[in-house]
Amino acid sequence: MNIAITLSDNKGLDSTLSSVFARCPFYMLIDPETKIFTIEENPAQNASGGAGIKAAQWMIDKEVSGVISGSVGPKAHDVLSSAKIPAFKSKGESIEETLKAYLGKELESFFEPNVDAHSGIQE
Amino acid sequence: MIITVASGKGGTGKTTIATNLAWTLAQKRESEQESPIWLIDCDVEAPNAALFIHPIFEIEKKVERQLPIIQQDLCTGCGVCVDVCEYNALAIARGKTLFFKDLCHACGSCVLNCPENAIQESPEMIGLLQQGNRGALKFAQGILEIGFSSPTPIIRDLKKWIIPDKPQHESTYILDASPGTACPVVESLRDADFALLVTEPTPFGLHDLKLVAELIFKEFQIPSGIVINKSGRGDEIIEQFASEMKIPILMRVPLSRDIAEAYARGDLLVDAFPQYWDQFIDLYKKISEITGERQPKQ
Ligand code: SF4
Ligand code: SF4
Repeated sequence: MNIAITLSDNKGLDSTLSSVFARCPFYMLIDPETKIFTIEENPAQNASGGAGIKAAQWMIDKEVSGVISGSVGPKAHDVLSSAKIPAFKSKGESIEETLKAYLGKELESFFEPNVDAHSGIQE
Repeated sequence: MIITVASGKGGTGKTTIATNLAWTLAQKRESEQESPIWLIDCDVEAPNAALFIHPIFEIEKKVERQLPIIQQDLCTGCGVCVDVCEYNALAIARGKTLFFKDLCHACGSCVLNCPENAIQESPEMIGLLQQGNRGALKFAQGILEIGFSSPTPIIRDLKKWIIPDKPQHESTYILDASPGTACPVVESLRDADFALLVTEPTPFGLHDLKLVAELIFKEFQIPSGIVINKSGRGDEIIEQFASEMKIPILMRVPLSRDIAEAYARGDLLVDAFPQYWDQFIDLYKKISEITGERQPKQ
């Protein structure tokens, strides 16, 4: 299952982590075990309103099992938590560091979606 | 004729000019048995003209918008509504639709496009319109419901309610616009024949006057004129701008403690200081001359 990482540029595994969720330019969709990834443009980046909702809906449609970002706004929070997609605060400078922390369950959660963090949207 | 009284910011005396002009004209016309004068307070976020006019309200009208209500039992979770919503007010998570009311523009698109007809509409009050009079002066105002942030539809409905599609030539509508240069002001200026710009002779006053003059120049190309309130020291900066822009200065109200006190009591200037009566009549005469000049000869 892929997780999504918010990025402020597109440089593969050397990309910079973004501090924002809804209006960052790129998302990395990555399998934390195999490290197979793609980088996609954020379709909500330039939305005039409701970017958080649109971005969160995109995450649902991509069936990600978690989101890692510097922050998550209240509306994105509502949508993600309704979809039971956990969101975590990124840690360190690099994708490698934050992924390591994710796998070690060291990342701080933005909310408690009352589901095991790794079960994603399957039930 | 529609005259919109505007100012780049609040507190310049815009309401003072609008109320006194309307009140003076109404009384003059009453004695001459002409058609009525309307004062319309378009500052729906903070209407205050009524505090000076003390009208008796006779008719009220609600302004509503239609909010979508999703019947979860009919919804199949197909996602069409999410796709058609331009404002990202909808999301679907685990087959359940989520609705974000504060992002909804009540456009009705989701209602029309839902293949299951699972979305109904339900009215929600977003404002109130009132009309009445004080003596010969007809008065109307709109009030935005507390908690709502979109004044423009209220102003649009208020104007539609009071001003007929083809206003009679002899009727006069004086619109007190909200301060600033944003959408509500644009809506208050739409269809106006003349913009009366109220300003103060300070650098800030000039700055805001420039913004509103620019807006009128770009969007409306209607004639305008300036009223300098708290006139006295510093008038030159306004005079210079006015002559550059070829906007006439039509009236000056001096900076005076007596005037400020009358305002604080809620008195109309022309009631407290009858010498202003002729000045407001004169102001209207000048406006009529300017707009008359521009009317195509038939
Ligand atoms: S379009 Fe209608 S049926 Fe489809 S998800 Fe929206 S409300 Fe449900
Ligand atoms: S009425 Fe329009 S803005 Fe509101 S949810 Fe439906 S589509 Fe979106």
